[in-house]
Amino acid sequence: MSAPAAPNPERPRALYVHIPFCEQRCPYCDFAVHVGGAARHRGYVAAVRAELRWLARAAVVPAPLDSVYLGGGTPSRLSPRLVAAILGTARARFGVAPGAEVTLEANPSDVTTRRARAWVAAGVTRVSLGVQSLDDGVLRQLGRNHTAVQALAAIRALRGAAVPSLSCDLLYGIPGRPAVSFQASLDRLLEAGPDHVSCYELTPERGTRLQRQVTLGLVRPPHPVANLAQHWWAVERLAAGGYQQYEVSNFARPGQESRHNLQYWRQGWYWAVGSGAHGHLPAAIARRLGVDVEAPEPGVRAVRWWNHRGTARYLRAVDETGSGWAGWEAVDADQAELERVACGLRLREGVLLQTPAQRRMARQLSRHGLLTMAGGRARTTRRGEELLEAVTRRLLAA
Amino acid sequence: MPASPIERVRNFSIIAHIDHGKSTLADRLLERTGSVAARDMAEQVLDSMDLERERGITIKAQAVRLVHQAPDGTAYQLNLIDTPGHVDFAYEVSRALAACEGAILVVDATQGIEAQTLANVYKALDLGLTLVPVINKIDLPAAEPERVRAAIESVIGLPAEDCLLVSARTGDGIDAVLAAVVAQIPAPRGDRAAPLRALIFDSKYDAYRGVMVYVRVMEGRLRAGTSITMMASRRTFTVDEVGFFRPQMTPTDELAAGEVGYLVAAIRDVRAARVGDTITEADRPAAAALAGYRQATPMVWAGIYPVEGDRYPDLREALERLQLNDAALTFEPETSVALGFGFRCGFLGLLHLDIVQERLEREFDLTLITTAPSVAYRVTTRDGEVVIVDNPAHLPDPAAVEVIEEPRVRSEIMVPREFLGNLMELCQERRGEFIHLEHQAGERVLLRYDLPLGEIIHDFYDQLKSRSRGYASLDYELHEYRAAQLVKLDILVAGTRVDALSAIVHREKAQAYGRRLVERLRQLIPRQLFEVAIQAAIGGRIVARETVPALRKDVLAKCYGGDITRKRKLLEKQRAGKQRMKRVGSVEIPQEAFMAVLSLDQG
Repeated sequence: MSAPAAPNPERPRALYVHIPFCEQRCPYCDFAVHVGGAARHRGYVAAVRAELRWLARAAVVPAPLDSVYLGGGTPSRLSPRLVAAILGTARARFGVAPGAEVTLEANPSDVTTRRARAWVAAGVTRVSLGVQSLDDGVLRQLGRNHTAVQALAAIRALRGAAVPSLSCDLLYGIPGRPAVSFQASLDRLLEAGPDHVSCYELTPERGTRLQRQVTLGLVRPPHPVANLAQHWWAVERLAAGGYQQYEVSNFARPGQESRHNLQYWRQGWYWAVGSGAHGHLPAAIARRLGVDVEAPEPGVRAVRWWNHRGTARYLRAVDETGSGWAGWEAVDADQAELERVACGLRLREGVLLQTPAQRRMARQLSRHGLLTMAGGRARTTRRGEELLEAVTRRLLAA
Repeated sequence: MPASPIERVRNFSIIAHIDHGKSTLADRLLERTGSVAARDMAEQVLDSMDLERERGITIKAQAVRLVHQAPDGTAYQLNLIDTPGHVDFAYEVSRALAACEGAILVVDATQGIEAQTLANVYKALDLGLTLVPVINKIDLPAAEPERVRAAIESVIGLPAEDCLLVSARTGDGIDAVLAAVVAQIPAPRGDRAAPLRALIFDSKYDAYRGVMVYVRVMEGRLRAGTSITMMASRRTFTVDEVGFFRPQMTPTDELAAGEVGYLVAAIRDVRAARVGDTITEADRPAAAALAGYRQATPMVWAGIYPVEGDRYPDLREALERLQLNDAALTFEPETSVALGFGFRCGFLGLLHLDIVQERLEREFDLTLITTAPSVAYRVTTRDGEVVIVDNPAHLPDPAAVEVIEEPRVRSEIMVPREFLGNLMELCQERRGEFIHLEHQAGERVLLRYDLPLGEIIHDFYDQLKSRSRGYASLDYELHEYRAAQLVKLDILVAGTRVDALSAIVHREKAQAYGRRLVERLRQLIPRQLFEVAIQAAIGGRIVARETVPALRKDVLAKCYGGDITRKRKLLEKQRAGKQRMKRVGSVEIPQEAFMAVLSLDQG
């Protein structure tokens, strides 16, 4: 993994593009999603490109992008021509650095060799495939529109089209499913040899159908401790297969870590376009975009901002103003520190301790076997990772 | 407006048990005399503090002037001085009564006389006040006015036929009350030509005008421009304004002997105008001061600490401000290993404590931790020194202690006969000593017990109520200090003694108390990153132990773009929510834990 780079104080080099379209809403998903309507893709992509132009104008001299991430939703539902159009605009307005990571999230059911080739031709260097499970029962339960066979076929197709880097997502902690279901899925997935794996605990998010079912007692999520066992089983299985855990839920072969996602956890800057997308910008740039951060507010270095979540509302905003942004907030030094520690502790590389109070608290936590300290950085131990949120709170109480 | 002729002035209070309808009656009097337009009537006008209105109780004495047109056309000036009803505020009652010649005694037609009412009746009779008995709530189906009438005659000795039947709610009988106030309560006496003597019966701090002094003029006249001297504090001021309450402040030309009102004199230091002091003229001083008041003595002590240590100076200022109109509150700096810098505060009782904390937080925007309340013990050491210990953590080493004496009260409990057994049992449980039992009219019993104050400051009143289905009432006063077998119980959290959780308890109850307390603390202390042992110890001996197991899992699977804002907001919220947590060693103890003793089930 590349060394943590100091964020360029002025120029974001990452771009997130949200593509909300899905065939149906999955019962556990709480993202900004727009179901159906291929007819709408063209208009939406036009808005995304308009937003890119609008941002690039404000950036004055945009830095070439080091990572682009098309997430969703299901970006693979867009026709490859539209994907190419978005990337083309990004290239034209911001520039995309040689060797940049360009990720596209894909559903197995959308993947064909032809499409995969078209994505590569459009500049995609990495596909993140929503496998979720290789147990057809689980896939049905999760409301996915693909089967295990289709998922494995998709992996072969992507490899066949020479997609340089392949990541696959799996879920564990599915209500009513035995541990072996997840374990068998991971084993089979590793045989297919992706470069990167994300293993997420299925979490009933607020407002999702899954959460409602849990509340109503219709489904019973596994005991938290059982989920921890799944997690550690996965960590060990993946390590044995050559995948190092670098974030709580993310594993990669050497050099295959997601450069884009690391920006999130390392407090990097990123542009964001598309409905419901969140960006993180230097205050100076946000000001040029018309965000009313008071200029001589010394504590405020950063602005987090977000676009309208509803597609119609987003499209109207872009149409009227050139931008889809719905809100923003100034992040002062204290808040940035909360984010830095909270995100940094998720990483195996840990977080740099910056104050004597933090070091004192970290030492206390390490005496309790929750952190280890080396080179001025604190990393969670196994137990520390299990209690990550509580450890974060405690470290931040310093 | 010139002063009213003294023979047309009446000064009176209302004595009533909580919920017997005192405030409603006061409202009705205000309304009937046109002192408040009906449309301006907020419910219960006299309870002007927000807190008072929210809780339906009176905390501070208030004074309001009514103008009553008698049927013969004569206008009378009636000064109504409102009094609190809760036992904690008995002291405020005596102050108010001293400014009056009479009192309306309100008794609920469905409830009868309560112990608290009786105590205040005695106070009024001691001060030579004329009582106008009023039986209220006669409109209720459960009203038994005849029974209550008989009780008033037999218990208090007021002729049954003098009792007025009233419904303050419907307004029935209010005119008769006003007529009786004029006819029965004597006009004040006092020479208006004599040198000024005015009694300070209350004060209030106003940020713009300084201390507002509530006075009853006994002799002479008080006008704006008068140069006055406080006879006790010997401070001199020039009066800027005199006036009265209607109930809003109304400036007037003068207050003459017999009248009640306020004065403003740019007094910045509340200590310069102490309640109970006598005001006289600087140029023509009176020969002697009026009899003042007995200073209210706190019964209960607790530590109050700011959650954020740097707000300590703010807390000091807030307490000073509060003391301006709460003379009964005392405070002294103290330090706790667990809680840092704070104050040991003295209160009249737990309701008083609760109200003070609420006012500090509400009016001064402080976040506070209050420790478990304690009474003051008298400790004689082996070398003969006597120390008063109002903080259990400061109890000297047992080896150095010759004797510990605890405060005891003489209590009067009024209860319907059917619950007598229950209440005697309660008093025995609390180490009470039976003194006397008296059967009274209407199936009621007056029970006298000697009780350790420490056993009744919390939960006793609630128990009294619940074991008598709400019918019992209580009054008590400090009686004596007496030696008892008392020990200090310490609480250790993760091996560290938490001084703020120490308690002084009776030897025979100590172990059971320790067990209940650690059990309660186990419920109150949230799971932490590691297992936390909670122990109770007497001397070096552990008498109880509980364990708070460590957290098992607390990790979120995902954290991407928009999650980061969400997560930070959660952290910020938790930080704010944590405000009431104190870290002792490596354990976070929530605020409620320091008051755990108050939520113990009595075993």
